[in-house]
Amino acid sequence: MTEAPRVVDRSVIAAVRKLPEAWSSWRTDLPASIVVFLVALPLCLGIALASGAPLFSGVISGVVGGLVVGALSGSQLMVSGPAAGLTAIVVSAIGALGSYEAFLAAVVVGGAIQLVLGGLRAGVLGYYFPSSVIKGMLAAIGLILILKQVPHAVGYDTDFEGDQSFIQANHENTFSALMHSLQSIQPGAIVISMVGLALLVTWDLTPLKRIRLLPAPLVVVLVGLLLNLVFKSTASSWTLESSHLVALPTPASLGEFAAFFSFPDWSALQRADTWRVAVTLGIVASLETLLSLEATDRLDPFKREAPPNRELFAQGVGNITAGLIGGLPVTGVIVRSAANVGAGARTKLSAILHGFLLAGAALSIPSLLNYIPLASLAAILLYTGYKLANPKLLVSMWRQGVTQALPFVITIVAILFTDLLVGIAIGLSVGLLFLLIEHSRQRCYEIVSPPGAVLKRVRLHEQVSFLSKASLAHLLNNLEPGSRVEIDGSRSAHIHQDILEFIGDFRQTALLKNIELRLVGIDLPPPGPTH
Amino acid sequence: MENLKRLFDNNRKIVEEVTASDPEYFKRRAGKQEPHFMFIGCADSRVPLESLTGAAPGEMFVHRNIANQALNADLNVLSVLQFAVDVLDVKHVIVCGHYQCGGVKAAMGDQSYGLVDYWLAGVRDTVRRHDLELRVIASPEERFQRVVELNVLRQVYNLSRTPVVQSAWKRGRRPLLHGMVYDLQDGLLKPLALHVDGPEKVQELFEARRESIGD
Repeated sequence: MTEAPRVVDRSVIAAVRKLPEAWSSWRTDLPASIVVFLVALPLCLGIALASGAPLFSGVISGVVGGLVVGALSGSQLMVSGPAAGLTAIVVSAIGALGSYEAFLAAVVVGGAIQLVLGGLRAGVLGYYFPSSVIKGMLAAIGLILILKQVPHAVGYDTDFEGDQSFIQANHENTFSALMHSLQSIQPGAIVISMVGLALLVTWDLTPLKRIRLLPAPLVVVLVGLLLNLVFKSTASSWTLESSHLVALPTPASLGEFAAFFSFPDWSALQRADTWRVAVTLGIVASLETLLSLEATDRLDPFKREAPPNRELFAQGVGNITAGLIGGLPVTGVIVRSAANVGAGARTKLSAILHGFLLAGAALSIPSLLNYIPLASLAAILLYTGYKLANPKLLVSMWRQGVTQALPFVITIVAILFTDLLVGIAIGLSVGLLFLLIEHSRQRCYEIVSPPGAVLKRVRLHEQVSFLSKASLAHLLNNLEPGSRVEIDGSRSAHIHQDILEFIGDFRQTALLKNIELRLVGIDLPPPGPTH
Repeated sequence: MENLKRLFDNNRKIVEEVTASDPEYFKRRAGKQEPHFMFIGCADSRVPLESLTGAAPGEMFVHRNIANQALNADLNVLSVLQFAVDVLDVKHVIVCGHYQCGGVKAAMGDQSYGLVDYWLAGVRDTVRRHDLELRVIASPEERFQRVVELNVLRQVYNLSRTPVVQSAWKRGRRPLLHGMVYDLQDGLLKPLALHVDGPEKVQELFEARRESIGD
């Protein structure tokens, strides 16, 4: 008798299960999106400031990164928005093109280039970034966060939020800023950031962590805001002035708000410079996105793999949109993605909601947001930095041997002392060099004759790439004069042309050294003209 | 005892003679062996292998048994063959029989000789297999000679079927298989099948034989 209602229940459950997965995880994604939004807000403003662009352009870019890219992207956890890695390019591009509107035209074209790159399946490049370099990049960003946020944490807010270059926009470098910051400590900032850090470290140890809608970073921001209000009401010298707070532009009227948007100046497309900037943006933004995508996949607790070509497509649409309404170029960004993961996000709902929040907050409560002390956000980012540059990671990389540890360390050092893109380029070169060394050490053959055999029988592996030339050369060049050797390629599916030419050349050497060379299953190209 | 002593005496005498003219002779021979020939012959004492071919030490890798058998189940000959082909990289594998071979004779008759009967089962098989051809040979002496030759050809065929030779042939035209007979009367080697260096050659050899006997 009780069977019938149960059947109904099951069908209801099945229907609920068919709901898009994204909307079923709102309980974890909504709080995470608030954290990402709070972290993103000063970053968007800071990057806009450093780019020499209108402040609001950073917020537009953040909104587009959340709503447009977030909706189209195949990545569940990556957050997109204005990137610190592009500031140098943006500053010089605006200078070269003469106006921000002309620059916007280049952003739109850059987005179109990304669509083309996605269509050409250039995203697979992302699979070839060595793991050690990606990990080094994450650790370096963690260290940068710590080093760059310490000045903000003590109330030395001369540099923009989100700077990742060694030589900062305010002409200091990372370490001189650290030194200066110690001389101009704001007691109020220290109190707020220390309380914030203490909250972050201890929050997970308390039962309060079970309240999913109240993640620790959110509490940190609220507490910081309240503390500063207390300082202010008591007229304490610890009060943080507006230069140490979030500074979102506050429009007085709707008309003033509309003026925050700017639109591309299409006449700029007649100039070659615009196209040059567009190509640079398209390529660099794509690279930064692919790196962030790889890095975010590493951080994903569920180890999901995001499709890179779809990502390029999403980013392209994002940049076209951003360019059309006056936003800075977007890319995938690691700090916000890491904060997203750290705040417990599970699906892309979090990234999309952060876009909504940015848009909503900028429209409705800009003056309220401007009470948030930068020191509170510094505490959140310091903690994120510590998680990224966890000493355990360093130890585990060290244990994997020099071929992993050295590219890792070099990537970290290079990023710390240059900037993200240059540092990654150095790290990638070193990583590829090690890959080359590792592969050239790998043998492409097996010796199948018994030891001491008169005929040395060398069986080539299934795949013989040009990387294995060194190992084969080592073997053949060490043969005694008068010996016999057989090279058997009958089981190889592919032998690289360079290897075939090398064997062809060795046939001559063998004659000179009186080595009897027998080839099995290897079709040598006819000897070409001697150079 | 007298005879055994003679062996040692002769040995010493020969070494003295050789080292007198070439002091480094034995030292040179003690180095790595790289023989070009592998020889499968009969154990018969009347076949003076080295002296009849003039092969110097280090030139020939030798396996001898009764009636020069190369049986595919004989671990002994297979090991020797594998070592010769895979390790020493010999170029030629020779099966050499001889007329008036006691083993072959025994296999042709009904007499029992003990354990060797088992060993010679293959030769008896060859005799039965070629019954038609042998029956038309009137002279018993000639029929005996023919069986000796057929036995050699059979062993060449056996060798061509071994995994060692099969896989070596897949990689190149080595080793070359040869069948020949030694005539005790005049001391000459008579070639039966030369330069068998692949499955096609084996096929050819037996096609030709079948035609010649009208089988």
